[in-house]
Amino acid sequence: MVQDRTAPLVEVQVWYHVGSKDERPGMYGFAHLFEHLMFDGTRNLARGEFSNFIVRSGGEDNAYTTTDATVFWESIPANQLPVALWLEADRMRDLRITPGAFEKERDVVEEERRRRFENQPYGDILAPLYAHAFTVSPYRHMPIGSETDLDRASLEDVRRFHAEYYSPSNATVVIAGDFDEGQAAAWVRQDFGGLEPSPSPIPRDYPVEPEQTAERRVKLKQSVALPAFVEGYHIPADGTPDAYPLELAAEILSDGNSSWLEHDLVYQKQMALLVQCSADLSELPNLFVITAIANPGYTLEDLEAETHAILARLKEGNLGPVALGRAKNEALRDYLMSRQSPHGEAETLGYDTVILKDPALYNTETDRLLRVTPAEIAGVARKYLTAANRTLVEVYPGGQTILTQTRTKPGPGKGIN
Amino acid sequence: MRKAIVALLIACTSVAGSAQLWSRQFPPTALPPLKFSLPQPSLRVLANGLKVVTLDRPQLPMVTLELAIMTGSSGDPRGLPGLAQFVASMLVEGARKQSAMQIASAIDDAGGLLDTEADWDDSYAEIEIPSASTETALRLLAGITMHPTFPADQVELMRRDTLSALEVLRQDPNYLADEVFEEATLGGTPYGHPADGVADSIRRISRSDLERFYARYYRPSNAVLLVVGDMRPERVFSWARRNFGSWKEKNHLPPSPAAAPPSLPKRQVVAVDDPHAAQSVIRIGNRVVGRSDPDYLVLSVANQILGGPAENLLFSALRSRRGLAYGASSVLDCHQEAGVWEAKTSTRPDHTVEAIQLTLDQMSQLRGRAVKRWDLQTTENYLSGHMPLRFVTNDQIANRLLDLFVYSLPLDYWSEFPEKMRSLRVSQVRAAARRYLNPRDTVIVVVGNIQSFEDSLKRFGPSRIIPVEDVDLTSETLARGTPAARGH
Repeated sequence: MVQDRTAPLVEVQVWYHVGSKDERPGMYGFAHLFEHLMFDGTRNLARGEFSNFIVRSGGEDNAYTTTDATVFWESIPANQLPVALWLEADRMRDLRITPGAFEKERDVVEEERRRRFENQPYGDILAPLYAHAFTVSPYRHMPIGSETDLDRASLEDVRRFHAEYYSPSNATVVIAGDFDEGQAAAWVRQDFGGLEPSPSPIPRDYPVEPEQTAERRVKLKQSVALPAFVEGYHIPADGTPDAYPLELAAEILSDGNSSWLEHDLVYQKQMALLVQCSADLSELPNLFVITAIANPGYTLEDLEAETHAILARLKEGNLGPVALGRAKNEALRDYLMSRQSPHGEAETLGYDTVILKDPALYNTETDRLLRVTPAEIAGVARKYLTAANRTLVEVYPGGQTILTQTRTKPGPGKGIN
Repeated sequence: MRKAIVALLIACTSVAGSAQLWSRQFPPTALPPLKFSLPQPSLRVLANGLKVVTLDRPQLPMVTLELAIMTGSSGDPRGLPGLAQFVASMLVEGARKQSAMQIASAIDDAGGLLDTEADWDDSYAEIEIPSASTETALRLLAGITMHPTFPADQVELMRRDTLSALEVLRQDPNYLADEVFEEATLGGTPYGHPADGVADSIRRISRSDLERFYARYYRPSNAVLLVVGDMRPERVFSWARRNFGSWKEKNHLPPSPAAAPPSLPKRQVVAVDDPHAAQSVIRIGNRVVGRSDPDYLVLSVANQILGGPAENLLFSALRSRRGLAYGASSVLDCHQEAGVWEAKTSTRPDHTVEAIQLTLDQMSQLRGRAVKRWDLQTTENYLSGHMPLRFVTNDQIANRLLDLFVYSLPLDYWSEFPEKMRSLRVSQVRAAARRYLNPRDTVIVVVGNIQSFEDSLKRFGPSRIIPVEDVDLTSETLARGTPAARGH
C-alpha cells in the first residue's frame, strides 16, 4: 500500500504472477485469453456487471498481460475502495467460465491481434526479433500468442490454467492513493482472507537461454512504406547490477532530440525518420532493442553502420561532460511522472513487489540509478552491445514473405490489453 | 463463514442444476459521488494582452508550462493543408538566440520534455520539467514562441521527415479511415482538410508561408500561457512579465469572416479497397455542432450511452454479444465551429456487413425508446464521479484549463458541469440522437478488403469504392484524378 492524498482517488491493482512466459508449448496466448475471461462474470455477477460497478461510480478499469504478469486495475473515487476490493476477491474466488463466453472471447482476442499487429504498419516487426533472438527462453513468443494454439484450446485447458495460476498465493493486491491504512487492511482481510491457496507450488523452472555466439540476421518483406530494422542484444534481468547502467545507456542513446542516436541519425545525417532505443528489462534476461526507419535515399546498411558507430562511441567510455547528468535528470523526471497518479504509483509498487520481489525498491530504486558511473555505462556497452550478441531483423516494403534468415521459429514481448 | 460458502460453491459447480442453492452476493453498496472541488487557478493579463493562468500544486517537484495560440489547423489557408502543424513543429528548430540543437540540449539537460504541435483550434509549445528548472524553461518557451527563425536547412529537414511520415501513415488503415471520415463529414467547414497535410501541400509550403502564418496568429493577444505545478503564482507572474512582456502586439487580428455553415453531407458509403487488409476498419457517424454550442452537454451524455466506457450499446452489441470486434466505441469530437459524432470499430472482412448493420441499429436504439432513466442516471454518475480522474496530472489540468480559452467557455465551466448535467432528461437525450444521428446524413466509411463484400455494401446507401492507392484527401471526391483541391 502507498498513500497519496493529493486527490480523492484510489487505485486497486491485483497482480497475478503469470504471463506469457508461463505458457507451455501448445498454450501460447492463454495468459492473455484468460485476462479477457476474468471479465466474463462470476457466480454472483453476470458478464459486464464488474465494470458497470466501477463505471457507475465514475471509475475506470482494465487489465493487461505482459511476459511476466497479468495485472487487473481499477482507478476509482476514494470512497469506492471496498467495492473494488470485493469485486476483485469475487472473481479470484469463483470465476464462471461458460463455453459460450469462452468461444466469444477467443474471437475477440483474434480481432485484437489483427487490429494491433497485422493491420498496423510495423506492427509485426517485433515478433520475428524475439523468435530469432531466443532459442529456448519463454520470451520467444509474445503475449498475444498463437492463433493455432488458441483455436485448439479447450475449456478444460483454460480451467486448469485458472486453478494453477489464479490463486491468492500467486496474487498481490496493491492499493495506492487516498485511503486509511488500517481500514484498507481490514477490508482486504475480510474479502481475500478466506480464499484457499493453490494446492501445489507454481512451477518457475524456465529454460536458461544459452549465450549467443554469432550475429543472427533475418530479412522480411511486409506491407510497409519505408525499410526499417529492429535489433536486439541479450541483457540480464531487471534488478541485477547491470540493469541500471543499461537503462541509462538507452536514455543517452535515444531520449530527447539531443540524444546521441537522434542527434546523429535524424538531425545531422538525416538518414532516419525515427530511431528508438530501450533496455527491455524484465523478470528473465531480455533484450536491449534499437528500432530505426530509413529515410528515402538511405539503405538499411547505411543506417545500421551509423548506429553501430554510435554504439562504439558509447563503449569508448568518453561520455563527455553532460551525457550522463542529462540521462540521470531524464530518469529522475520519469520517476516523478510515474508518481503523478495513484495508477502510476500502484504500477511501480506492484512491479517492484512482484517482479523485483522487493517493495522497498519503491523508495530506493532511483538512488541506485543516480549512482551509476561513466565507467559502468562503458562496461555494459562493451559487454552486451556486441555483434555476436545481436539479432537483427530487416523489414523491406512489399508483401509478406521471408527473404532469408539464419534461423527460424514462432514468436513476441510487451504488455497487451 | 466465507470459507464454508466457498466450499459449498465448489461442490455446486460439479453438480448440474444445483445452482439455485446459491444466493447471489453483491458488493458493498456504493456511496454517492464525493464532492470534488476543482482547483482554482489564478489569472492575470499582461499589458500586451497575453493571458497568464497558473495553478500551484506543491505535491510533487514537477511543473507543466504551455504557451498556446488560439489558432490551429482550422487556420490552414486554402490549398495549403498542414501549414499550422508545419509552423508548430518548426518552433523547436531554431530561435533568435538558439539553434535547434541548443534548444534540444537545454531541455534534455534539465530532464525536460518539450512538445510543439497544432490541434484543430490551437497550436502549442509544452514543457514538462522538474520544477527547479521552471525559470529556465519559461525563458526557453518565450524564445521559441516569440522569436522562431525557421532556418532554411531545418525547413527542408522537416519537409522531408513529414513526407516520410505521411508515407508511413498512408499504410495505416486506421489513419485512412479517420481522415476519409473527417473529409466526408466536415467538408466545407474549416475542418474539412487533412490537418497533417498531404505530400503535395508539404512539398509546396515555403519558408515565407511559414513566416506569414506565424506573423498573423502568433501574437500575445491570441495566446495563453499556462503554468501548472510546483511553483508559486507570484513567481510565475513575475517571470512571465520578464520573459513575455516584450512580445509586441501588432494590429489586432482581423476577425475571420463568419461563413455560412455548409449543408450537411448526404447519406453515403465510402469504401477504401485495400486487398491486403487483415481487418475492415469502420467509421460511422454524422456532423454535429461545435464545442461551445449548448447542445454539446446533452450530446456528450448521449455519446457515453452509445459508446462510452464499459457496457455501452455498441460494446454490448458488437463485442459482448457477438464477439465481432476487440473494440467498439463512439467518439464525440467537437471543434470550435463544428464536430463529428462517430462510432468506431474494426472486424474481419466476412463480419463487416454485420458490424455496420449492428452499429446502425444501436444508433436507432438511441433515437428510440431503448434509453431509460436508469441509463441516463448511470451515465451522469459516471461523468461526475469521473471528474477527479480528469484532473490528476499537471498536464491534464493544463489542458482542461486550456479548453476554456480555446472554446470560449466560462471560467467556472468545470465546476458547473456536474450540476448542469443532472438537469438533463431522457427525452432530451432521445431528441439529440434524433436530431444529430439522423440516418439521412450518416456517413459510413470502411477501409479493408472490399471486394469480398462489395455487393452487400449497396444496401447501406449510395457507395463509392476507391482503391487505396487512389485516395486523395484533398479532392472533393476523395479520389485521385479529380480536381477541386479543397482547403479552408
